[in-house]
Amino acid sequence: MEQSKMPLRLRQEVMESGNCARCGLCVGLCPYIKTMNERIAFIHDCNREDGTCYRVCPRTPTNLSDLDKQVFGKERADHGLGNYLEILYARSLNKDLAQAGQYGGVVSTLAAYMVESGESQAAVLTKRQNNSPPTPCLARNREEVLSCSGSNYSASPTLSILNAGVRSGLEKLTIVGRPCQILGLRKMQALTERSEHNMSAKKVDFLIGLFCFWSLETEIYTYLRGKTGSARLLRMDIPQNYGVVTTENGEIQIPIDELRAFIRPTCQSCFDPTSEFADVSVGSTEYDPEWSTLIIRSTRGQEIVNKVCNAGHLETKPYPEERLPLLLNAVINKKKRVLESLSNGKGYEYLELSSDYTQGIEEGGVGR
Amino acid sequence: MSFMSLQVNEPGRSVLMTGNEAITRGAIEAGLSFAASYPGSPTSEILAHLGRLANEHNLYAEWSVNEKVAIEEAAAASFAGLRSLCIVKQNGLNVALDSLVSIAISGIKAGMVLVVGDDPGAHSSTNEEDSRLLSKVVHIPIFEPSTPEEAKQMTLAAYELSENLKLPVTLRCVTRISHASGNVTLGELQNVNKQAIFAKKDRYVTNAALHQLQEVKLAKIRQIADTLPFNTYKGPQNAKTVIIASGPSALYAPEAVNALGLDNEVGVLKLGMTWPLPEKFLLEHMKHAERVIFIEEIESFNEDNVMALAAQHISEIYPLEFYGQKSGHVTGPKGPGVGEMDPDKVKQSIARVLGVENNQAAEKPSLKLETPDVPVREMAFCAGCPHRASFWAMKSAVALDGRNAVVLGDIGCYSLALRRTGWALPQTMHAMGSSAGIANGLGKLERFGFKQPVIAVVGDSTFFHSTIPALVNARYTRANFLLVVLDNETTAMTGHQPHPGMSKNAMGEIVEGLQIEEVVKGLKLPVVIQDPYDVKGTTEVVYKLLQSEGTKVLVLSQACALVAAKASTRPRVYIDQEQCIGDSCGCNRFCSATFTCPATIWDPKKGKALIDEVVCNRCQVCVSLCPQGAIKVEGGANLDR
Ligand SMILES: Cc1cc2nc3c(=O)[nH]c(=O)nc-3n(C[C@H](O)[C@H](O)[C@H](O)COP(=O)(O)OP(=O)(O)OC[C@H]3O[C@@H](n4cnc5c(N)ncnc54)[C@H](O)[C@@H]3O)c2cc1C
Repeated sequence: MEQSKMPLRLRQEVMESGNCARCGLCVGLCPYIKTMNERIAFIHDCNREDGTCYRVCPRTPTNLSDLDKQVFGKERADHGLGNYLEILYARSLNKDLAQAGQYGGVVSTLAAYMVESGESQAAVLTKRQNNSPPTPCLARNREEVLSCSGSNYSASPTLSILNAGVRSGLEKLTIVGRPCQILGLRKMQALTERSEHNMSAKKVDFLIGLFCFWSLETEIYTYLRGKTGSARLLRMDIPQNYGVVTTENGEIQIPIDELRAFIRPTCQSCFDPTSEFADVSVGSTEYDPEWSTLIIRSTRGQEIVNKVCNAGHLETKPYPEERLPLLLNAVINKKKRVLESLSNGKGYEYLELSSDYTQGIEEGGVGR
Repeated sequence: MSFMSLQVNEPGRSVLMTGNEAITRGAIEAGLSFAASYPGSPTSEILAHLGRLANEHNLYAEWSVNEKVAIEEAAAASFAGLRSLCIVKQNGLNVALDSLVSIAISGIKAGMVLVVGDDPGAHSSTNEEDSRLLSKVVHIPIFEPSTPEEAKQMTLAAYELSENLKLPVTLRCVTRISHASGNVTLGELQNVNKQAIFAKKDRYVTNAALHQLQEVKLAKIRQIADTLPFNTYKGPQNAKTVIIASGPSALYAPEAVNALGLDNEVGVLKLGMTWPLPEKFLLEHMKHAERVIFIEEIESFNEDNVMALAAQHISEIYPLEFYGQKSGHVTGPKGPGVGEMDPDKVKQSIARVLGVENNQAAEKPSLKLETPDVPVREMAFCAGCPHRASFWAMKSAVALDGRNAVVLGDIGCYSLALRRTGWALPQTMHAMGSSAGIANGLGKLERFGFKQPVIAVVGDSTFFHSTIPALVNARYTRANFLLVVLDNETTAMTGHQPHPGMSKNAMGEIVEGLQIEEVVKGLKLPVVIQDPYDVKGTTEVVYKLLQSEGTKVLVLSQACALVAAKASTRPRVYIDQEQCIGDSCGCNRFCSATFTCPATIWDPKKGKALIDEVVCNRCQVCVSLCPQGAIKVEGGANLDR
């Protein structure tokens, strides 16, 4: 990593070039980076040489094998899904959470357990705001977790609340985030040689990652308002070939092509659709909306899932053998597309991939 | 002696006064009844003094909404038989010009004097402008004092002349005369209580047919000029070199001649009336001269006029050479006409023309300051100035909006935003209220592919002065822009004069102030009021307003820190140096180096930030901006932001 004018390069290479993933981790580290309406901007050049902002950004050079070793103690064997211990179907046994959850309500159930049991002082979540961009939320109890369930498909920089939360004295935090958000947090945790100051990710001790193949531009909310009028938006989902928004007046279907127009271009250069560096990752099953896919990646993840299951909040079942290739294919294809555009010089070059990682993708991922 | 000197009623006594005080005194001695002005340096103090003396001397003094209204009111008083005074600065004359041209044509009744403060060197102005050119266009005479004494004498003479010829008269007073002090001989203080009446037979109408009469009046004044005591010649009877100078240059010239040891060779002709010219008097001295040197500030006004006169009389005065700005001989380092004159520049100029040795080194100033070197102080917003918070919020909103919003500056303290103190945010700055007009233009360019949001920034006084017509236009033409009014409840830049939004007038009476938002609501335009000290809230409001279409107004309301500080009982603000982590913060010394409030300074011993409590106005804005939360309010109290 070239160690000069980092903040300036963050502004030019990541923000102004449209590559910002909008994780929000750089917001609130300093007085210069702010966010509004999901956009992140430098409001003044700080002219510093070094910058934590640049070092932790998920869109600045990242060495995946180093990160694998840091988080899991070893390089990956599976180049599709990354390091993991187990892949399951899971769903909440709590009625309200299961009901409110996007699919199996797994994420909310885990987060609720963390804050209720005292494992965490709070969980950093994302809260729906009807037909406007969602807002970050520091949930300290079950009700607050419940109020944040369900997916919002824009790239909301909700980690912006983390730095403020840690500054107000919070510790032992649970984070729910998109893959880019998880990556940023891990990069910050990796900055061991640096002073403790502003390293808020070090106060995070449980990371729940979401699956995310792309997110949508903020303008989606204006578009949706056009579709729903003044009716309250309760839920949005994007099953296979269309979008569905549920309002108080019922369901409205949206053609997938209309939604695709809102896909953020930078998501096309994202290499990680399953939150590879989380303790657990949760996504849809693309099959049964009552259940979520749950990937247990770290021993910490294993420990927590066991506790939540033992407490009777969550049930799991094996991942159907025949569906695994479908998931793997989707992931590998995305990664291949990213590598391809990189070699065409079209992609955004932030990955520092070792040759066996690239080779792993080309060979189709698993079990080399 | 200052203000007190204005009240001394001892005719004949010599008293120290500034030029502005001398003019004030002169007007009262002349029996002034009515004065109107809009503040502007260098002449702001005159109306302020008159306001304080109004009761005692049976006169009316007013801070008008703008100079055009002020000159019209002064004319009105004159029509009704009252001696009147209008005071403006050079840019103010531009505003008043349309009306003044017509008033000069229609003629007036009682004496009416126009004081124009010109600012060579632009000490407190956006430009160097020579208002004499405008008075010439208006067809009215110009007096140019060289000393406070003369300023007073000329004020009295101007009233006589004005009343005799039924014509307004200009007294052009530059910064060096307005603000310098000198001995002034007092005359009798007047306390006229005149009956105002608009006579049934009187008509004051602008009409092209009156042009002829104007020329007749000027011709009369030309004759009077020849015998005026203010036009003088000093020097050898038949000097081969004659310097023609006016204003402060007429003081520098003899000093320079003396310093060059040329007292027996060079004569100095001082013009106290620079328009129309004392032609006979001038020709008389041009006849004995072989060369003339013109010394004056800003434009080559005298030079051009006298050379035209000379051309007309070429056979009487030939041979004669002319030196001045035109020949390039009379100049400071930045070129002819640029910047003020001073004795050194004059000396160098004369030496250049005459080819004599400038016996003192050119670089050596004739005056050596006895004070120790003072550190250069950056032009910046005061500690606690709400404008700093306003501009930081606007800068933040513009960055977050991301569409390269164009910020348009205007005239007031907030013009400083063009500098580092306002992060050079404004991209244009012109005349009073111009930002709103320019916003009107930019706000309609969408059809040409223009996609940038537009923000015009004016102060409260500027809002009343000349922004309202632009707002009316904006509503009518559906211009797309945000007008931000920085309402600090005073005309701060020129010295806190009251304006129509305030509940006090120039004479200290309580009046009902006009609320800016009432005006905007009356135009049926959306208006939001916000406290700029709440930087986060203000950023959000500006951002939101930028997302909406059409003309909208944001009033950022917070009293000028200098006024507020006087009445303040706010708790002390300090930096908890345990919590400030200095350069390891990553904020890059935000408070002292980026936000640059003069009250937040760097403590080099501790390597941490510090508040200079003598300077701090306790606005608490920095409290909300410090990323470490290290800036605290005593007693833990906070404005809850
Ligand atoms: C932008 C986006 C794209 C996604 N794309 C896919 C995909 O392609 N394939 C797939 O299988 N799954 C995808 N998901 C994940 C999926 O929508 C569900 O969130 C996930 O399956 C968990 O469901 P659940 O019922 O267990 O979660 P819930 O119990 O409903 O909890 C959802 C959690 O997500 C958080 N959240 C909501 N919106 C955001 C956001 N914008 N950013 C960060 N956190 C948020 C909430 O705070 C809540 O804690 C995506 C999610 C997002 C936010």
